[in-house]
Amino acid sequence: MTSSFTDRLLGRVKLSGWVSLAAPILAILFAGIVTSIVLAITGNPVFDTLTTMVDYGSQPRSLVLILNNATTYYLSALAVALGFRMNLFNIGVDGQYRLAALVAAAVGGAVTLPAPFHPILIILVSMLVGAAWAGIAGVLKATRGVSEVISTIMLNTIATGLGAYLLAEWAVPVAGSNNIGTPPIAASGQVPGLAMVPGSSLKVFGLVFLAVAVGIGFHVLLNKTRFGFDLRATGRSEQAAVASGVNVKRMVVYAMLISGGMAGLIGMPQLLGASYSYSLDFQPGLGFTGIAIALLGRNNPVGIAFGALLWAFLDVSANILGLHKISPEIVTIMQGVIVLSVVIAYELAHRYRGVAEQKRVSRELAGAASTPQKEGASA
Amino acid sequence: MISTGPLGTLTQEASISTETTVSEVAVQLEGITKRFPGVVANRDISLTVQKGHIHAIVGENGAGKSTLMKILYGMQRPDEGEIRVNGSPVTFHTPGDAISAGIGMVHQHFMLADNLTVLENVILGSEPRKGGLALDFAAARKKIKDISDAYGLGIDPDVLVEDIGVGIRQRVEILKVLYRGARILILDEPTAVLVPHEVDELFENLHGLVREGITIIFISHHLDEVLKVADAITVIRRGTTVAEVSPEGVTARQLAELMVGSELPSPETRESTVTDVVALQVTGLTIGADGERRVLDDVTLTIHKGEVLGIAGVEGNGQAELVEAIMGIRPSTGTITLAGEEITSWTTLRRREAGIGYIPEDRHRHGLLLEAPLWENRILGHQSEKVNVKGWWINRKGARADTERIVEQYDVRTPGIDVDAAALSGGNQQKLIVGREMSGEPKLLIAAHPTRGVDVGAQAAIWDHLRTARAAGLAVLLISADLDELIGLSDWLKVIHRGAVVAEFDPATVTPEQLGSAMTGAGEEA
Amino acid sequence: MLRNRFGKVVAGAAAGAMLLAAAACGGGDTTEGAPSAAPSGGASAPAASGVKVGLAYDIGGRGDQSFNDSAAAGLDKAVAELGVEINELEAGNGEAESAKEERLRLLASGGFNPVIAVGFAYSASVAKVAAEFPDTKFAIVDDEANKLPNVSNLVFAEEQGSFLVGAAAALKSTKGSIGFVGGVEVPLIKKFQAGYEAGAKAVKPDIKIQAKYLTQPPDFTGFGDPAKGKTAAEGMFDAGADVVYQAAGGSGAGVFEAAKAAGGMAIGVDSDQAKTADPTVADVIITSMLKKVDVAVFDFIKSFTTNSVQAGSKVYDLAAGGVDYSTTGGKVDDIKAQLDEYKAKISSGEITVPKE
Repeated sequence: MTSSFTDRLLGRVKLSGWVSLAAPILAILFAGIVTSIVLAITGNPVFDTLTTMVDYGSQPRSLVLILNNATTYYLSALAVALGFRMNLFNIGVDGQYRLAALVAAAVGGAVTLPAPFHPILIILVSMLVGAAWAGIAGVLKATRGVSEVISTIMLNTIATGLGAYLLAEWAVPVAGSNNIGTPPIAASGQVPGLAMVPGSSLKVFGLVFLAVAVGIGFHVLLNKTRFGFDLRATGRSEQAAVASGVNVKRMVVYAMLISGGMAGLIGMPQLLGASYSYSLDFQPGLGFTGIAIALLGRNNPVGIAFGALLWAFLDVSANILGLHKISPEIVTIMQGVIVLSVVIAYELAHRYRGVAEQKRVSRELAGAASTPQKEGASA
Repeated sequence: MISTGPLGTLTQEASISTETTVSEVAVQLEGITKRFPGVVANRDISLTVQKGHIHAIVGENGAGKSTLMKILYGMQRPDEGEIRVNGSPVTFHTPGDAISAGIGMVHQHFMLADNLTVLENVILGSEPRKGGLALDFAAARKKIKDISDAYGLGIDPDVLVEDIGVGIRQRVEILKVLYRGARILILDEPTAVLVPHEVDELFENLHGLVREGITIIFISHHLDEVLKVADAITVIRRGTTVAEVSPEGVTARQLAELMVGSELPSPETRESTVTDVVALQVTGLTIGADGERRVLDDVTLTIHKGEVLGIAGVEGNGQAELVEAIMGIRPSTGTITLAGEEITSWTTLRRREAGIGYIPEDRHRHGLLLEAPLWENRILGHQSEKVNVKGWWINRKGARADTERIVEQYDVRTPGIDVDAAALSGGNQQKLIVGREMSGEPKLLIAAHPTRGVDVGAQAAIWDHLRTARAAGLAVLLISADLDELIGLSDWLKVIHRGAVVAEFDPATVTPEQLGSAMTGAGEEA
Repeated sequence: MLRNRFGKVVAGAAAGAMLLAAAACGGGDTTEGAPSAAPSGGASAPAASGVKVGLAYDIGGRGDQSFNDSAAAGLDKAVAELGVEINELEAGNGEAESAKEERLRLLASGGFNPVIAVGFAYSASVAKVAAEFPDTKFAIVDDEANKLPNVSNLVFAEEQGSFLVGAAAALKSTKGSIGFVGGVEVPLIKKFQAGYEAGAKAVKPDIKIQAKYLTQPPDFTGFGDPAKGKTAAEGMFDAGADVVYQAAGGSGAGVFEAAKAAGGMAIGVDSDQAKTADPTVADVIITSMLKKVDVAVFDFIKSFTTNSVQAGSKVYDLAAGGVDYSTTGGKVDDIKAQLDEYKAKISSGEITVPKE
């Protein structure tokens, strides 16, 4: 088949039928086997470890934590996936969301607005900052041909430095604390959590619904609109898109702006739902987790949702391992193996499907032109 | 050399290796049957290839040629039947088995690493060792030289592959399989990528090879080439051998009819439908800065409604750039006017919306989203056409319905519009593109090599569609390397050489010799 | 397309079903390790044996040859001398805030009492979880932002210890030029820098001091990247410094290597690094600023066993012996008198060391 490995890796080509079902299941099973072997080699009880994780991960309190983590991961993976669908590698989601959350937290802490407008303002500011930061890479690519991989990685580093400077400028000192953070956002700007899971006093981020809405929006934008068609066409074949009249440079800028705007949302559930301030220990690295989950979910909003939940489940269930003297790094190994084996499984499934579809086409055509006339073999 | 006339008037040339009288059989296939689930790709195929012959295998796309060759090269195993090489039965499990039996394959798409030298490419995978680890380049170089000299391939082992032309690359591929000891060569569509004079060089090389006792199995669509070079021809249709002919006793037209199993239409356009209304006016179109070599040099041309303007030329002389400039994909200077409106500064999308249809030269890269279903491919390039969209939204229903229409009207053979474009054969892909580009009532159709790499049946259908559209008042810019197609379809011919229009001909009176000399630049001095 | 979308949905659903199926089958049996949500009841008078100490490390955990290891040393001492049971959990790099909370919660709900959190990153989490478990005693190292009746805040006067090694650096320097390498530019490490510079200037007001931080938050790799530490220190030695003080956790090893290569001197941090560092470079370490987290941790556990835990801040300064300088190797024996004089002045309050 003519699609490149990258195309398949990034889900710009689709899988269908039962193979797309079998691929992730086999991959996760495989990852489970590898993890079991690692556990066995390191002298840990395999079955007990896994049941302990599952048992702990299925408690109501853990379910809340899983949902909350997954909300953040989902937004991050969607931001990455949007770029991936167009063949744009926005590696800079990490810097985009951190800078965006910082600025948004500072703005949110500095103003007071009536309840519905305060969080909306904060979210909009965050999206704008994320979009602007990603937009730099988009403009550089469109006007100067700078690879977005390089520029976004550099922008990550710049965002770190700029963020450290701005945080030092804006932070309010708290007596006795070695931490520094932006002024806390007033109650009017906070998004209350929801007691969605019975049996736990912990609350689910109110912005879980925002994540769901973004997922639906992602699907609609990509699959139902002209813009989405142009974006996907560019991702599948840039040359074909150019020939079909797509202004690829403009698409690059737009896609980066949208991806960055979505990146701006990543920090919001935590900021508006739990910490209310951007401080030194605001969770970093979510942009990179998003890349892994986007790959896991093949850049498809439904696939990513399950990927994010799986990832969050593993992360949360890792908490219990330390209590049993099992290194929580086992979960990192598991996550790595899952991503790797899912990628391989999709690749195998794709090859299988490519051959199968061509066979199906020729079979159905042969069936349609049945009763082949006996033609004379004479010269 | 461009020595072939329109299909019907082709004359035979005697094949040179007919003096091989001792008929020793190199390859014999008997009763080969290969089934894929639900479909029989090869059915009871029998084939006998004489040693030292160039044996051509012709057939439509999808007739089963590739499967047969894959079986012979060990990439697939037959369900029934027997393969004998040099008289002894063999069973191949992998291409490696075939290679050790002396069978080598030269693929249509070259498998060479650009950044390595010819020598490195040739030895890649079978590196000669010296003292265990070190590569013995000297021995390899000598062996390559010897092979090159013995068969007259004229290859310098120490140049980088990126610095050599397509024709030489192909000879490197041939050398590569000879280096591995092949005595029987399978060439898959070897001329598809070559310009006419390179084709002639290839044929000389092939004759050189058979003189040295090499056997060649030659797969092609180009019937006139097959007739020119082959010692024996086997025709495959629907998975089975339908005829075994000698090139002396058959014309290209007869051969084509054997392939498709029916009467064959010719590309010739009978009556003129040219009107006075100018559809496209291109003036002074130039690409390339002053002082540099211009890729496109001051090209001026006019196409009227109902007219087909053919552009002849050896590939790489500015045809692709001309097309891209008119489409607005590549920046250029000069003016372009479509139906009286100047479109020079318009974007590609706006030009398309204004009524330019575009059949690109490379349909896989420019014309299709291979991994997308047919109905999405229907939208490609027509993202603002009414059936496809409603404002910002994709009109899924409309696009699907119109795809069904194209599939129906243009005889795209597919089980449905949800299959990926990649699953279709080349001819059916091209019919889909033609149907798409003809929809929305275009004013101008740019057709770059519209029948390249498609089978005879699809070719005839595409010619038919072009003629019908022309009669309905469409202006067509036709770029083709197939002189029969150009002469047969065009109302007027321009020859492009080094980016400039160097000659014009009336296709009714032009001879292939005139065209050929103009294309190679000989006309300039004359 | 319908078929394809269906395929995707099914694919996703498969992953989810796996998850749920796994969750369901796990829920059946009650593994002994799974903690119950209910907090264990308050044991009123804890005896030394039967005390279960839970400790949560910051990133790096046991084995970071620095801050966390120092806490671990205190814990080990408590095991040896007080016979307590322990469990240690470790923070992951880039983990969510909720993971820190959950770690403390697991310890508290698992019956561990007291629970010790190492590092200011646990500040908010301790405040939250301590409120949920009022009968459990918590301690947090390096933070006194939140005061709760069941939380002890163990903080250090790093600037005072750093003042002493700053004075040592100025006294030992022959070139009149010294350096400071901080791991990550956070307020805590700035305290080290401030004390160091004040000490050096107290000895020699015109001394030249170079300062560099390896990374900016949220990039905390500056605490664990010896290569970065080495590069930074090399630059300082090249620019004329002959003594470099590192407050860079694991990156400090690189500073020592650079000092060894340049023929210069280095000052260690947190623990007595002339003893703990790689022996090949230990001889360049003239002294170390001791931050006795081990002492603080041990004291806290001991006070728990004697039922005398005090909530609120406990400042480990020079006077309390919580910070100090080391003399291993005898490289500062010649200036010991001067240093001890400063020490006395700080302890008595005669000298006030700036914190930033």
